[in-house]
Amino acid sequence: MKKYNAAIILGVTCLILVLAICIQIRTIEEASNVVGSSLNDNSEMKDKVLEAQEDYKQIYSQLEKSNKKLEKIRQLATSNSQEDELLKLELEDNDKVQGLTDVKGKGVIINLDDNREVDETEVLNISSYLVHEEDLLQIINELFNAGADAISINNQRVVSTTAILCDGNIIRVNGEIISVPITIKAIGYPESLYYALMRPQGYLDVMQKDGVIVKVEKSDDITISKYEGVYNYDYIIGGDK
Amino acid sequence: MVILAIIIGCIVGALVGINLPTISYTYSGYLAIGIIAAIDSVFGGITASINGKFDLRVFVSGFFGNAILAMLLTLLGEKLNVDIYLAAIVVFVWRMFTNLAIIRRHYIDKLINKMENKKNENKKESVG
Repeated sequence: MKKYNAAIILGVTCLILVLAICIQIRTIEEASNVVGSSLNDNSEMKDKVLEAQEDYKQIYSQLEKSNKKLEKIRQLATSNSQEDELLKLELEDNDKVQGLTDVKGKGVIINLDDNREVDETEVLNISSYLVHEEDLLQIINELFNAGADAISINNQRVVSTTAILCDGNIIRVNGEIISVPITIKAIGYPESLYYALMRPQGYLDVMQKDGVIVKVEKSDDITISKYEGVYNYDYIIGGDK
Repeated sequence: MVILAIIIGCIVGALVGINLPTISYTYSGYLAIGIIAAIDSVFGGITASINGKFDLRVFVSGFFGNAILAMLLTLLGEKLNVDIYLAAIVVFVWRMFTNLAIIRRHYIDKLINKMENKKNENKKESVG
């Protein structure tokens, strides 16, 4: 009986030890995936980055909770009469247009990538083989002009306050860093979106001829995630109806 | 029986550990120091059992007590802005190496004894 007890206790301690080691290894792996290998040497900086990210995640989950609460309050407020029902529909429409909800529909998916196979010494201008922020701006313009309802770049929703900036070897959209390969999703009438960009001398056609790797496909089922930021305004006065 | 329990414990621990959610990075430092303390206790336990002094109560209380104490010291160090966990790591790893040396010597002695016994037997046979 005593030996039996000893076996069970030793087994449980081993279980706890191995469990802790597994969790620790996975936590560290996850953390190094987030930060990237270049920061691994500088552990203080890495800690700062990870802590900041954790704070961000917490605040973001709070925001999500508040949004859900707001949604519930709206539902309660609008469940009484038919007029309120109409208001609710209008609110939902506004949210869709402003990019505050995930949306689905048909449209096109554009994949862009730098051409890495060219030899730098053999071409006139290596820059024309890369994807730049101007390219994204032009493509977004063409897509909206062709009647796109919603657009996202690498899952960053393009909204009325979106800025697309060059930031060295990366691009910033909505303040978030994105880099190649770039996936642009656009909801709209697929044919017109496609030919707006791929017609002869269309923007993507030119890019493709310049040497950038371009792939465009029409799709019937595209999901575009919502804008993850918050609309703020400090200087607008008036505008109330 | 004991070895079987340990193996089962390790396998179950690994399986559960792979599927559990990870902890927040802020607390991973505490878990790490706890793991080091626990491993130190395991080596201490093996050494004690070699010396024939193994006591389960001492082992279990050391396993959890050391881990918790190390975590608390790390927390205190964080509050006081002193890296106390470095001292804990030095002590634990030092003890680990000491215990490992004892274990190694024990088994090497055993091996040498065995080989010498075999030689003696062979000699006896050749003489006989």
